[in-house]
Amino acid sequence: MTETIETVRVSVKVNGEEAVRDVEPRRQLVDFLRHDLGLTGTHVGCEQGVCGMCTVLFDGEPIKSCLMLAPQADGHEITTVESLNGEELHPLQRAFKEHHGLQCGYCTPAMLMTALALGRRGVPLDREQLEEELAGVLCRCTGYQKIYDAVESYLAETAGSGGTA
Amino acid sequence: MTEIVERQTEQTRKSFIGQRRTRVEDERLVRGLGRFVDDVDPPRLVHMALVRCPYPRARIVSIDASAARALPGVLEVLLPEDVLERTDPITILRPIPDAPAIMPRALADGEALYEGQPVVSVCAVSRYIAEDAAGLIEVEYEPQPFVVDVLKAIEDDAPILHEHMGTNVVVTNPRGDGDPERGFEESDVVVEDTFSINRVSGLPMETRAILADWTPGVKTLHVRASTQAPHLFRRQLAQSLRLPEADIRVTCDDVGGAFGLKLGIFAEDLLACVHSMDLGRPVKWVEDRMEFFRGATQARESVHQAKLGVSSDGLIVSYTNRYYVDAGAHNSPMGSPMLSSLMFQGPYKFPNGYVERNVVLTNKVPVGAYRGYGQPEGSFVREVLLDRAARKIEMDRLEIRRKNFIRPDDMPWQTIGGAKYDSGDYRACLDMAAETIGYEDVLLRQAEARADGRYVGVGFGCYVEMTGYPGSKFLGKHNAQYGAHEGVVVRANRSGGVDVYTGVPPIGQSTETAFGQVAATVIGLDPGNVRVFAGDTHGTPVNTGSFASRTLIAGSGAIERAGREVREKALRVAAHMLDVPVETLELEDSVITSTQGPRITFEEVALNAFYAHRMPEGELPGLEATAYYDPISNAFAYGTAAAIVEVDPESGEFTLERFLFVHDCGTQVNPLLVEGQLHGGIAQALGAALFEEIVYDQESGQLVNGSMIDYFMPTAADLPRIELGHTEVASPVTPFGVRGIGESGTIPPGAAVANALADALSPFGVDINRLPLTAEYVWRLLAAKQAAR
Repeated sequence: MTETIETVRVSVKVNGEEAVRDVEPRRQLVDFLRHDLGLTGTHVGCEQGVCGMCTVLFDGEPIKSCLMLAPQADGHEITTVESLNGEELHPLQRAFKEHHGLQCGYCTPAMLMTALALGRRGVPLDREQLEEELAGVLCRCTGYQKIYDAVESYLAETAGSGGTA
Repeated sequence: MTEIVERQTEQTRKSFIGQRRTRVEDERLVRGLGRFVDDVDPPRLVHMALVRCPYPRARIVSIDASAARALPGVLEVLLPEDVLERTDPITILRPIPDAPAIMPRALADGEALYEGQPVVSVCAVSRYIAEDAAGLIEVEYEPQPFVVDVLKAIEDDAPILHEHMGTNVVVTNPRGDGDPERGFEESDVVVEDTFSINRVSGLPMETRAILADWTPGVKTLHVRASTQAPHLFRRQLAQSLRLPEADIRVTCDDVGGAFGLKLGIFAEDLLACVHSMDLGRPVKWVEDRMEFFRGATQARESVHQAKLGVSSDGLIVSYTNRYYVDAGAHNSPMGSPMLSSLMFQGPYKFPNGYVERNVVLTNKVPVGAYRGYGQPEGSFVREVLLDRAARKIEMDRLEIRRKNFIRPDDMPWQTIGGAKYDSGDYRACLDMAAETIGYEDVLLRQAEARADGRYVGVGFGCYVEMTGYPGSKFLGKHNAQYGAHEGVVVRANRSGGVDVYTGVPPIGQSTETAFGQVAATVIGLDPGNVRVFAGDTHGTPVNTGSFASRTLIAGSGAIERAGREVREKALRVAAHMLDVPVETLELEDSVITSTQGPRITFEEVALNAFYAHRMPEGELPGLEATAYYDPISNAFAYGTAAAIVEVDPESGEFTLERFLFVHDCGTQVNPLLVEGQLHGGIAQALGAALFEEIVYDQESGQLVNGSMIDYFMPTAADLPRIELGHTEVASPVTPFGVRGIGESGTIPPGAAVANALADALSPFGVDINRLPLTAEYVWRLLAAKQAAR
């Protein structure tokens, strides 16, 4: 290549670790997470903020990382599904497994991040409210019912613990 | 009652079949550690982007790619002439009987026939730059006359898509019995209508994707694919790229949903491979969602002209359905669906019937397989007409169904469509559905509500579903490019476990878990000691793949055979090691115990079999078996869906208050997974019944709603709580008595909701004849009735 592509420095705290990279200004945050940092648990489904596959937590709040450019995340904290990972399943992951809340698994990380934020928020939700909260992430395999069951059971489990379970 | 036949294995040991077990797949998937195509970024990776035709039909006059080629980071631009000479048309896996194959090419050959057809392909160091380059390519198009409506396409003056054919009707496939016309004359009541079924998308959350990696000199093409059938994928690539199969390896680790849409190879797959072979670098293409709506196969669109005659006492005398199914602009590997014809009879017996499939070309995205494969459409038409007939003769809708059901002692039953039903108690499912939903109570509530100015209705839809294939010979007669069988390798490992190798890739259908349960049961281990390795053509036996509700039927048969061989050999080796007669041995929980006392672990036996230090005379080393199973017949699943709606006649809006599904899939290997399969299929059916429709503008031929924001796939807030019930009549024709479950959920929901709506609005005399059932459509039906008054 003869021309140098203009880059900007992006410094983000991802799952508690500082990550610094020089990226094209137009780099999508989801591409930054997946292909620059290698955190491929977060997926891509539509690149227009509808399907929610790319949902991560941005300073603790769920956002669609296909709608944000990596430089916009500079100085912020991102939490992805990988933050839950250990030898044993996180209680939220366990709830999804026990309730068969996933089939192909493609939407699962986004559902987990959405539910994690709900747990941390700690506000009780009725059925309709919970469905609305989950409506930001689409799933084509499960019909949502077992996802709903999984999240409901997780929220019941974490109630009062501030989502630290 | 159908007899539960003797099983192929006399199972006296511990069985894991029927257990509600959580999934082994989940350990990686809930951690976000699945490996989907786009999760792999090999060194020196480059990316592909495409220029797609923006018109429904256009001649390609010229292409200027100079600006794209000059863009830094661009490595290659492929024009049609660059690839058409070097690649062969894509083969059709499931050809349409008696029809010419209209095989797609890698790029449009002189003329593009639908909006979205690939015209030019670009490879660059990043997807961003590849897309920039695609935007710089100037294609001069000469728009041509087009047709996007299936009925207009069969008119005499319609533009012909493929001129050498002289018509847009690819084929007419008739099938019938008795004398339908005379049957209508003899009927007391005849109802008929033209039904329009919507074009929809299977819409997996992971779009199509490929990573092609050619190693020059060494001549190996390693492809990571998002596919339901890696071995078929390998074969088709070999054919179109003119390579020996040995050069190609297809790996499929995880697939983010497929639903029939990821069967066979597509133009983009060939293009990625050609780029890689030219550049000697790995090439990735992950379809974006805008491309998806213009390139990935779509489904279901059809127009059905159906007629049903019944006697005054409710017996079906004659039923005919002449339908026109939209194929899009050319064949897809699995299109168009066959089962509206084969299964047109549903669960009813009648003397006179005729079904005629007309496959019609239009300037739209090609149609392919989608969960249900013609059965939701055919079921919708039949069940809606049956309700109408019942209303005309003033017979209860359940009663008319009970009168006409094929009964358990009628089985096996040869249908007019050409299917042979194996067994089943259709009435049992209907009765359970009626009781669970509280049919009589709903009718009472309906009367009260009407007095109150509210409109409540209840509706039912019954189905019989063909699951699996009736054997490879059947497919041979249809010239299919695959068999009905599955093959597996079952191999003991030196830690006392068993490895199962299958070409069936993980697409969400939980094969690893279910196959593990079967293998553990057959051999005598705990499922925790069985690992299933799936989807890599290097290391799995050549097989068919995951579609047609056939994987567990054929796969469990193969596992049963291979597992039994492994078990029997383990017992022979153990007998030699323990110096006891083999008849005294039993293998359970990984331990082989003799009735004479001595015992030995499966691990010790396996280790010895691999060392071959102490083998019986003539016994070969190793502890493994490869086995195939070819089904002897289809198994037919069946059931009834029921829905309760309340409609606001002012606006046409309605709420789906309850939705119930009672089914029989024979023996349930894992009820938890069965529920999941049903939920998912039902959600797709309700999506198609209530919201989803791919719309083309008749004037411009343009796709109107090709994005996620305009195509209304249901969210968690859009669906009712799904209630399930089941009966369990084991199939006499499959290993373990299983019937397929992958597609059932898609079949009867549309009819149940439509019938509930018609019931709610019966005071208005509304007849439903299309999908989706939007508020606007309901409002228009009511407005037309009011205008007519």
